[in-house]
Order: sequence, then structure tokens, then C-alpha cells
Amino acid sequence: MTVLIERERNLVRLSPEGELTIYHVAELKAELLSGMQDDPEVEIKLSAVSEMDTAGFQLLVFLKREAIRSGKTLRLVAHSQATLEVIDSYNMASYFGDPVVITR
Amino acid sequence: MSKTILVVDDSASLRQVVGIALKGAGYTVIEACDGVDALSKIKGQKINLVISDVNMPNMDGITFVREMKKLPEFKFTPVIMLTTEGQESKKQEGQAAGAKAWVVKPFQPPQMLAAVSKLIM
Amino acid sequence: MSMEQALQTFFEECRELLQQMEDILLQLERVPDDPEAVNAMFRAAHTIKGSAGLFGLDDIVAFTHTVENLLDMVRDGKVGITSALVAELLLCRDHIGDLVEHAASGGEINAEFRNQGDMLSARLREFMGEAPELGNPQVPAERATMVEASGGGKVDGDTWHISLRFGKDVLRNGMDPLSFIRYLATLGEVVSIHTLVDAMPDGDSMDPESCYLGFEIDLRSDADKKTIEDVFEFVRDDCQLHILPPRSKISEFMDLIRRLPEEDAMLGEILVKSGAITQKELEEGLSAQWDVDAPLGEILVEKETVQQPVVEAALEKQKQIKESRVQEAKFVRVHADKLDSLINMVGELVIAGASAGLLAQRSKDGPLQEATSIVSSLVEEIRDGALKLRMVEIGETFSRFQRVVRDVSKELGKNIGLEISGAETELDKTVVEKIGDPLMHLVRNSMDHGIESRELRLQRGKSECGQLRLNAYHDSGSIVIEVGDDGGGLNREKILNKAIERGLIQSGQGMSDSDVFKLIFEPGFSTADQVTNLSGRGVGMDVVKRNIEALRGTVEIDSAEGKGTTTRIRLPLTLAIIDGFLVGVGESFFVVPLDMVQECVELSEEDRRNGKEHGFLNLRGEVLPYVRLCEQFEISGAGSRRESVVVVQYGNQKAGMVVDDLLGEFQTVIKPMGQVFRNLKGISGSTILGSGEVALILDVQALVQVAASNEAKSLARVSVQG
Repeated sequence: MTVLIERERNLVRLSPEGELTIYHVAELKAELLSGMQDDPEVEIKLSAVSEMDTAGFQLLVFLKREAIRSGKTLRLVAHSQATLEVIDSYNMASYFGDPVVITR
Repeated sequence: MSKTILVVDDSASLRQVVGIALKGAGYTVIEACDGVDALSKIKGQKINLVISDVNMPNMDGITFVREMKKLPEFKFTPVIMLTTEGQESKKQEGQAAGAKAWVVKPFQPPQMLAAVSKLIM
Repeated sequence: MSMEQALQTFFEECRELLQQMEDILLQLERVPDDPEAVNAMFRAAHTIKGSAGLFGLDDIVAFTHTVENLLDMVRDGKVGITSALVAELLLCRDHIGDLVEHAASGGEINAEFRNQGDMLSARLREFMGEAPELGNPQVPAERATMVEASGGGKVDGDTWHISLRFGKDVLRNGMDPLSFIRYLATLGEVVSIHTLVDAMPDGDSMDPESCYLGFEIDLRSDADKKTIEDVFEFVRDDCQLHILPPRSKISEFMDLIRRLPEEDAMLGEILVKSGAITQKELEEGLSAQWDVDAPLGEILVEKETVQQPVVEAALEKQKQIKESRVQEAKFVRVHADKLDSLINMVGELVIAGASAGLLAQRSKDGPLQEATSIVSSLVEEIRDGALKLRMVEIGETFSRFQRVVRDVSKELGKNIGLEISGAETELDKTVVEKIGDPLMHLVRNSMDHGIESRELRLQRGKSECGQLRLNAYHDSGSIVIEVGDDGGGLNREKILNKAIERGLIQSGQGMSDSDVFKLIFEPGFSTADQVTNLSGRGVGMDVVKRNIEALRGTVEIDSAEGKGTTTRIRLPLTLAIIDGFLVGVGESFFVVPLDMVQECVELSEEDRRNGKEHGFLNLRGEVLPYVRLCEQFEISGAGSRRESVVVVQYGNQKAGMVVDDLLGEFQTVIKPMGQVFRNLKGISGSTILGSGEVALILDVQALVQVAASNEAKSLARVSVQG
């Protein structure tokens, strides 16, 4: 599980790759939190997430909440099929408030 | 991608029937005849679910689950224990070892499929 | 893999487990205090029951269940092992066996059969005495139940409402709420789902492996409450779950409850029966004063739960398992047909390899010869490996006799012990399958007539307990199986008298003991009763001999009067492939099984002359009967050149075979002779040489006999002339 970090002006794009599951959430929490520390705008790109479980989903919820708490904006972008399914099942697309491409 | 289930039981016919049912439902199945065999077969594999008997020669199911859960890559793998009526203490011991789900023997394949679906649907 | 195949596996597995159970029971009869044996027995019953359930073989499940319960109590020390119990369990084991075979043959179970099972079950329950049946799920005893209804619950429309709060450890335990929710959707339609994340702490105190989620779900479904609750059965102790029924259900519950005959004191139970609350909800209510939003409103049930005492022995760790079980666990089940066809293929490979080797030799191409020699040594290994696959230990066959000896000795009122040795000796499965009947006959013979009654034994100063021995070992390419007893032995005079009376021989003069004993294998002899240790069961010893000879084997008897008798069966290890020694006679080729070849010597002119005269050769001062293959098989154009003698041994009889050419060792596959040649004496089969020519495989046993009778004839001639 690696996270690709790209920075533009005022924006950081974090792209976790691979499994966003309970096996990795502990390290990912630390990595993603520190990655989003310095910039007011955060994008989490999900296109390379091959698998996501409830722990992974919960981590996304947590990051969203942390961002709001510290006055940042956080967007989830480029959802992979795996992430889309989970967010959909939990009926949480509106919580994240991101434009989601409806594939079905 | 099909999910992989490890079936551990010393009865070959039980493994076969469970195997047929699971494969029919689209799962990939790995069979092992006891705890020792199971530990050797999971190496390097991604296992989504384990179905294990309790009472087996060589290494019983509870010891196996305990050992498996020590391996970081299987720390959170869900386990269905195959228990018998009247074995309440075994069920508790199994739960303490990390096997939180169970199916009571004797069972029919649809019961097993239902239990599997509850865990990894 | 199909269900049908799995079912066959199950039957096969049952047969093995039943054999195991029998072995264990017989062992327990001798050593009652063996917890590991009891455990293994339990495991066997448990496995049969578990697998039978999978195939819906309910009769097996039901009966084995009772047996298993009893064994569980034995394991816990609640029921002691007595010989009566072992005897009963043996009957039960047989009954399970009958049930299994019934299922295997697809037969109907008739009333008598079922009745038999019921009687056995009833007796088992007697053994269990007062102790509670473990099979019944424990329902907590009720003492006081208080029910209070308070105003209508907030129930929304016609959907079930499910309120869920997961515990922190759910994810760590490998449970994913997502999966439960998806499964829930299979019961009906999830009309709405609302995910609650408020319980999640901020910052560092949030542990990403903990679960902080809650859900409010509306489900439209025809399922009952129990079914819905069961979706969450594996997380039931790890979550808070409230299930509110649809409004339409409420009146249904009320109707049901009104119609139930139970009294008010049993209200908790009534609610469960009507489906308004589940057993689990009741239990939770009983233990923790929990609010149940039931159709009647909010119900508060207060109750104490009584815990079933924990079976302490169940905690006992599994000790070292028996070695045989360990090995069994490593087995792969293969259909015998597949193995046979593999061995056939290997046979073809051996021939093809020999052919290639021959061609390579002719080509004088060094590297090619080297390559083919590597190939042929590999083929040899494959052949050995393939044959080993079909080799099984004789121990399994032997151990079946434990039961026979036990049963028959009880029947006869004799005290007889069975001693098994050489159980690990291996032989071909095809041979093993055919040896059971002859062995059974010999064992019964020894018990019926060999071993004396208790009184007679004591009178003769022997130990009261008779001994029966089964032994096996390998000896020069054969397996030897011995059935021995320490009984009265054979009486030479009585056998001779009987044989003369029956016209089998003229007189016993000059006959060795072993020849005399062999008479009991003669067809006319079997009806004899008290004279020898012959079973009076109709089937004669001649049948035993015929069966063994059909396997290319022999049988002989050692006996000492008053001390006992040992019957020795000698069989080839395999019926498929042999290492042969190729010889030429004239234009023909013959193969002698290599194991039987002792040495090869040149036939000098002097030997030839002496041989003609005396009917035997002189092998370093030893008398060697011989046979000239060219004469035996009437081959013309042979015998003019220098000849050689192949010295063979069968049993303890040696003989020489005179041949023209010694062509060396040769692996060969035995092809059985066609019907036409079945009666050709001295030939046991044929094979095809690499060159495409046919070679006949010599039946050494028959030829040794021919040689011996040639010798006897010429000796007689000599003595007549002399």
C-alpha cells in the first residue's frame, strides 16, 4: 500500500494504491493525515484503490471530518469501482458531497 | 475477482461437498485436511474466509486459528468454525481464538452458503 | 468433482472410519483406560455424522448422534468403559456400517432394520443413565417473568425497521458490517439506509481498526423476525440490535398470542413462539433487563439465566495423534481404475523403452545409447513408483481378524488371543483383495480345530489362553503370510489313514511330513471332521489352495503334534510387472522372473551325459533336478550348441533349466495368456520384446515341479533297472 503525493498551488492530491482495507488502515491513517497537513485543499484520488472494506470507508469518513474540523476542503475524486460500491451501499455519496460518476 | 475460501476438515467428503457448493457460488476454494496442512497451504495466499472444523488430528481447529491469527496477513481473516451441538465450550474457546462465526454440524450446503454470504458478501 | 463422486468418497471414508472404530473398540476391550483411543473413537463418529448430514442421510445422522453423545460422556469420564459397553458399541458400529452400506446401495430402510437401530439407541441411553442428553439445546429455566406494555412503539409504515450499532471489535474480528447489510438485502428490499458516524472520535483517539458505525435501516421483507435477526448472528454479541416489525405484523402477533394455549406465566415463551421476539432477544432480556420494542409495545423481561455447566474435558487439549491417523491425513484418494490404467501405461512405456534401448544399441551411436540408458533408468524408477502406488500394507487386512477372533472365540467358548506381526509388509492391492477369503478360512480353521478347548489345554500343561498368529514378510520376490496357532497340531497317522481310506494314496511310506500335511488340501479330504484342524463349515481346504494358486502362490504347512500348526502362504508381490531374465531356446525367447534366478552355470558335456543318465545335475555336489526347455516345449533345432543352466529356486526347492542362450536381465510386463493357452503348463504369461517378438514368461513353480517329478521318475527307473 503506497500513497502517491502530488502538490499544486494550495492543493495536495493523495492517491492511495491497492487495498484500502483493515490490514492497512493504521499506516494509511498516519500517512494520509500527514500528507494533507499543509494544504487548504485536499483531493483523495481513489482510482487506484482495488479493494475497500468498511475500515477503509471509515477512514475516508474520518479524513473528511478531520478536514472540516481544521477548515480545509476535502474531495474524493476518480472513484474506482470498488470504492464506489461501498460508498453506495452505505448511502454516503451525499455525505462526501462529491460529484460521482454514476456507472450503473 | 473471485474470493478465496480455505476449507479445513479431516473429512474428505465434507471438503468435497462444501467445495462443490462454494465453487458453485463462484468462490475459489483451497482445501486442507488439518491445522498443519492449512498453515502450510495459506502461505503466500490471499484468503478471504476460513471454514474450519474443531476436532481434527495433527492440529485442531482452535490451535490453527490461534496460529493463523498470529500471522500479520491473516490477522483479520474471518473464520467460520464447524461446531457440534453440545459443544458450547468449544464454541466459546473458538471465539476467544478469533473464530467469531460458526456453523453447527451436521449442516446442509445452503446453510453453509448463507453463513459465508453473511461474512463476505 | 460431482456430488455423486463426493458421496462415493463419503462411503469410502465411512468404511475406513468404521474399521478404525472397530480397532479402537477391540483395543479398549483390552486396555479400557485410554483417553486418546476414546477421543479418536469420538472423532470417527463425529466425522461420520457431520458428513452424513451434508448428504441428507438423516438415518445415519440420527443414530450416530446418539453414539456420539454416549462417547462424549465416556470422554468426560461420566460413563465408564466396561466390556458390556464395548460390546454394545461394537453392535452400534455394525449398525452404522449397515446404514452406510444401505445408503451406498440405495436400499430402503425397512421397519425391522429401523427397529433394530431404535433398540440400540435405547440401550445406549440406558448407559447414559441420568445424565442429560447433550444434543438438546439448553433452554434457560424460567422463574419469574414480568411483562409490561407501554404505549405503541414508533413503527413506520409497512417496513421492518432495524437499528444497529456495531461494537468496536467487529472489524478486528474479521466481520465487515457491509457484508451483513448486503446479505440483509437478499431478504427483501432495503428501502433506506442511514449510516451514523457520530460515535467516531476525532484525531488521535480514533483507532482506524475499531468500528464506530451505526445504521438505521428500513427493510421491506416477508421474512420473520428470527430470520432477520439471524443475519447478524455472528456479531450478535458485538452489536446492539433492535428490530421493529412492520405495523401489519402487530395484529398478527396479537392474534397468534391469543390463540396460544400457554398461561400468562409463560409469556416470555409465548412471545418467542409467536415470532414477536426471538429466543435471543428473550435471553438478552433475561440477562440484562433490556428493552424490547415488540409489537405490543416496549417489553421488559427480567430473568436469570442458568448456565449449562461447562464440560471440562472438552477443554482438554488434543494429545499426540496416532501415527496412522497422521499418515491417513496425508493421503490422496485416487480411483483404483485410474491407478490400473496408469500401471498399464507404464507397462507400455517399459516395452517401448526397451525397444528404443535395443535400437540404440544396434545403432552404435554412443550419445544415443547414453540418452536411452538414462531414459530407461528413469522408466525403471517410474515403474517402481507406479507399482508402489498400488502397494498397501497388509496390516489393515490383518487387523480385521481382531474382530473375527474375538467373535469366534466367544462363540466357541475358547479364550484366544491374536498376535499380529509384519503388519507393515506391503503387497499389491490386487493381491490383497483376493487374499481375504483364504485367510479367513485358515483363521477359522485354526480356531475351530487347531486350538484345543480350555480343559484340554490345561490338561496338556499349556496356558489357558490360545494364541493365533498372523505374520507377513518379504522373501525373494514373494510375500509370505503365515497363519499360526499353538494348538494340537496335525496328526500324521490320522491324516494318512484318512487319505488311504479315501483312496488318495496307497501308503504313507517314504512320504515326508510336509507331503503328508499337504494331503489336507486335496479335494476329497475336506469332509474329514475330528482328525485334523479342518473347519466343518463346508468349504474345504482345497478351495483355499485353489484360490492361492490362482494368484500364482503356494501354500504349505508346518506342524508339530501337540505344539501347533503354521500355514504358510507364498504369493507374488505384484501381478503386473516383473524383472525378468531373458533366455533363448532355439528361435524362441523365454523370460524367467529374476527374483527366482539363483545363478547361471555352463552345462558341460559331462553334466549332460550324467544328467541324461540320472535325471539330475550335479551342482557342486548338490543334487539339482532339471528340465530341458527344448524338450518341455518341443522346440526343434535346439540343443546342438553349447548350453547353459539357469538355476532357479521356488520356496525351498531348487531346479535347473537348460537353455541355449543367456540374454540378460529384462524388465517386462506380464500380459495374461489368452483363454486358449490357459492350460499350457509351465507358462504363466507372455510379453512383447522391444524387437516386437513375443517372449513367454516361465511359470517357475510349475517347472520346478516338473523337474522334481522327472528326477523322481528317473530315480524310479534307475531303481527298477538296478
